[in-house]
Amino acid sequence: MRGLGVRTLRRSLLALLLVALVGAGCGGADRVWSRVWETGVLRVGMDASFPPFEAVDAEGNLVGFDVELAREIAARLGAAADGDGGDGVQVEFVANLPYDGLYDALTAGRVDAVISALYLDPARTADFAYSRPYFDAGQVLVVGARGEDITGVADLAGRTLAVEFGSQGDVEARTWTGRLGGLVVVPCESAREALASVGAAEADAALVDHLSALQWIGAGADARIVGDPVTDEPYAVAVRRDSWQLLQAIESALEAMEADGTMDRLRQHWLQAMP
Amino acid sequence: MGDVVNLRQMLHWGLGLAVAVLLLVSLRPRPAAVVVGPPQEVVTSNPLVGVHTRLTDEVEEWKIQRTLEMVREMGAPWIVEFFPWAYIERRPGEFDWTHSDLVVEHACAQGLTVIARMGWVPDWARPAAPGQETTFTTLDPEHYGDFAAFVGAFVERYRGLVDHVIIWNEPNLSFEWGYRPVDAAAYTALLQAVYPAAHAANPDVVVLAGALAPTLEPAGSPVGLSDLEYLEGMYEAGAAPAFDALAVHAYGLGFPPEADPAVDVINFRRAELLRAVMEAHGDGDKPVYVTEAGWNDHPRWARAVRPAQRVAYTVGAYEWARDHWPWCRCVAMWAFRFPAPLHNYQDYYAFVTADFRPRPVYEAVQEATRR
Repeated sequence: MRGLGVRTLRRSLLALLLVALVGAGCGGADRVWSRVWETGVLRVGMDASFPPFEAVDAEGNLVGFDVELAREIAARLGAAADGDGGDGVQVEFVANLPYDGLYDALTAGRVDAVISALYLDPARTADFAYSRPYFDAGQVLVVGARGEDITGVADLAGRTLAVEFGSQGDVEARTWTGRLGGLVVVPCESAREALASVGAAEADAALVDHLSALQWIGAGADARIVGDPVTDEPYAVAVRRDSWQLLQAIESALEAMEADGTMDRLRQHWLQAMP
Repeated sequence: MGDVVNLRQMLHWGLGLAVAVLLLVSLRPRPAAVVVGPPQEVVTSNPLVGVHTRLTDEVEEWKIQRTLEMVREMGAPWIVEFFPWAYIERRPGEFDWTHSDLVVEHACAQGLTVIARMGWVPDWARPAAPGQETTFTTLDPEHYGDFAAFVGAFVERYRGLVDHVIIWNEPNLSFEWGYRPVDAAAYTALLQAVYPAAHAANPDVVVLAGALAPTLEPAGSPVGLSDLEYLEGMYEAGAAPAFDALAVHAYGLGFPPEADPAVDVINFRRAELLRAVMEAHGDGDKPVYVTEAGWNDHPRWARAVRPAQRVAYTVGAYEWARDHWPWCRCVAMWAFRFPAPLHNYQDYYAFVTADFRPRPVYEAVQEATRR
């Protein structure tokens, strides 16, 4: 009797484990995905105050990297839905959300996805799921002719580093002065000014955010990014945690966009052009 | 038989595991003991200087203490802090004051005056909408009494230590009102439920209403409603007897602190327009507390200024309020420090980094309060 009890217990536990695993993996029906398919509309939330990712232009149009990204994703969801790329899925932007309200908009079902230069926040993964990052906005080291031999932070001892006063780069650089002997930090009015001082050989390197660096180099400056990013700020698409089918479809779209060069085109157009 | 043996083996393994866990727990270093220390006093040349701290999600006691020490050392006698209902009363009638006790005890030891922001609805008081979750800002009238009882319990516990409470946050924004259309009359009903409960617990408590978001949204907007129109709506709904002071959010956006106010502009002195609404409704005797304000110096956010501008504007705003607003009791800038980096423009409102490194604005305000 006892033996039978243990066997039964084992089987029950195994069954429970399987149910839990299946439940965790699939999360049941994805109601958001079903609605997107039925209506042909993907509702995307954003705070349109962050150029060049999302902003409102002088004519009142919504423009930016994330705006184009959302349209591309929707087009690919539509192709997946129709099989022949027919009418596809249209994007409905909810673009006047304050940044503080983006996650609540997902929770309350006001939007299906948030695409808004949103940091992939590990502290929120109990409630929300993220796509693969599509951009890292962290701080990077930029060198010009004067800093040609610099390959990373360790080479900055005894060198001159330009930063934007009060920026994250400034905060990082102030920390380094304690451990990199002879490092001179030059605070500048803006990231562009910090980069310009590298271009003018007044500084050996600049520590600025990735986007500023890309824009500077994209404008034809004789400069390059060296070493690993000093800080990471990955941007990703966010959905509710139970929107697992929608997330899979977004993942597939992003993967295809990387493979066929669409993502490079978007980056080049929106992130490497000087505003 | 085999199963019996397995069961015995499992018991042995379980016992061994329990002993190992106990051993590891006993070897784990104990958290550093934090001594509250003798009462301190804020030394400042401007008694209006304040900051909105964000200790809600700060777990470690020494970080709570260090944050509040740095506030005092900056010369700020006021803090605004959020005490979420959902954190304290997780089940109806059962209160866990552990964290709020820590914050209040350390704040008082540093000589700071605490303004407590109340809100954030626990699951049990939120509407059960089938098929759709509600947010922490969703409260229906049937639970107004529960919220009033919570505020009463809070006020009673901290009587003499925390004598200012803000009822709700930015109810003129849809996302702060459960992603429903904003409703000044409904918010007034909430105030009318809370006010008597708070005063019954502590007759000296100052109940602050409003904390409205500065916004130009027109009537019917799905996002919210202009703070000026919303305040008018509150008065029309009979809010005047249900609050002792108005909490005002006075963000400067791209404008300097002395920029003239206008109905169609959001800037620091928009507070004067809200004040005019109060006076028009015979409420001129009540004071105003600026419980959020400030400038952001993110390199790219469309509403940010340059770091050097932020420094000048922040110092200038504290001075403007002291020199021109006799009806203003404090100006609490958003936000002193976040427990962890948020990796968006919000980080550029902070006075000190998550790891306690002062940003230039901190040093500038400190210098100004020592003059």
